[in-house]
Amino acid sequence: MANLTFSEKRRIPIYDDPAQVEFGIVEFDYEKCKKCGMCIKICPASTIEMVDEKPRMTQKLECMACSDCVAVCPEDAITTTRNYRYTGYYKTIGFGNLQKPRL
Amino acid sequence: MGKQEQLAEKLKNEWTPTEEVILKRRSVRLYKKEQIPEFMVKRIIEAGRFAPSAGNGQPWKFVVLREPEIINGITETTIKICKVFKSLIDYRIPGKRWRLPIAKFNIKFKPAELHPVPFGACTLIADRKLGLYHGASTAILIFKDVRGISNPDLDCGIAGQNMVLAAHSMGLGTCWVSFSKLAFQYTGKWKKRLGIQYPYKFVTSLAVGWPVGEPDGIIARPTHEVDWYENGTKKVVH
Repeated sequence: MANLTFSEKRRIPIYDDPAQVEFGIVEFDYEKCKKCGMCIKICPASTIEMVDEKPRMTQKLECMACSDCVAVCPEDAITTTRNYRYTGYYKTIGFGNLQKPRL
Repeated sequence: MGKQEQLAEKLKNEWTPTEEVILKRRSVRLYKKEQIPEFMVKRIIEAGRFAPSAGNGQPWKFVVLREPEIINGITETTIKICKVFKSLIDYRIPGKRWRLPIAKFNIKFKPAELHPVPFGACTLIADRKLGLYHGASTAILIFKDVRGISNPDLDCGIAGQNMVLAAHSMGLGTCWVSFSKLAFQYTGKWKKRLGIQYPYKFVTSLAVGWPVGEPDGIIARPTHEVDWYENGTKKVVH
């Protein structure tokens, strides 16, 4: 079985259409969050903002699920819940669930 | 139990120190101003020097930048180029939808450079929302010898990862920075300033410095399908 169909290979997705380019999602545990803002400072995609003293993802999602925010959070209050998924020419192939390193 | 079995049994329950460095390494994008000691940079370069390469060709040239003037200069040039690209192809801005066919045309020609992630990063750099070297006090540029055996880009990558892991094992932070390629690809300014000429070509660079906070740590990543051939059968593992 081919990984990509002929039309998939030829189609460049629309980058701001969530149906065609699905970016990562991180979730915040507001009970643990101390509002230090480290996640906002280090996010390479500027996809976290502080609203009403609470960090949240911006409307314009560009998260590549790098999980740097998860690692930097001193309170372990962030979790990556969805990885990115691209379609068309950039179709994501053979990816499984998000998992921590396994011994 | 033989020596090998004993070793294997022990490994089942714990990561080796090398594995720990590999698993905890995160890209660091916030650095302290303080310079890192010279001996550390030299040790990092030693790690790169001892990287494997095709035919032991060692087709690399490392350039250490510890002058903010040069690091910031390269950043500024890259920002300027990103601004030009943004003004030509960013169709995601309201009222600029007409740029879509132009963008698609360009993406067809440069699909790796204009993938959704670098496409977004280019616009963020142009808007100064994403830094290049993130205030790191040291940057290591990696140039390939284009006459290198087989695939010198790969050898430079292997040397780079050796340096990155060595740096993280010392408690430093690093980040791969390839966007500055634009400053070497589209202008002659920095090639001239740094005396880079044939046969050297920019491949990538590393930001190295003291991290703010504790950015290294274990995270979750997607598993990938791995085809596994053994005993005459094929299985797919994750």
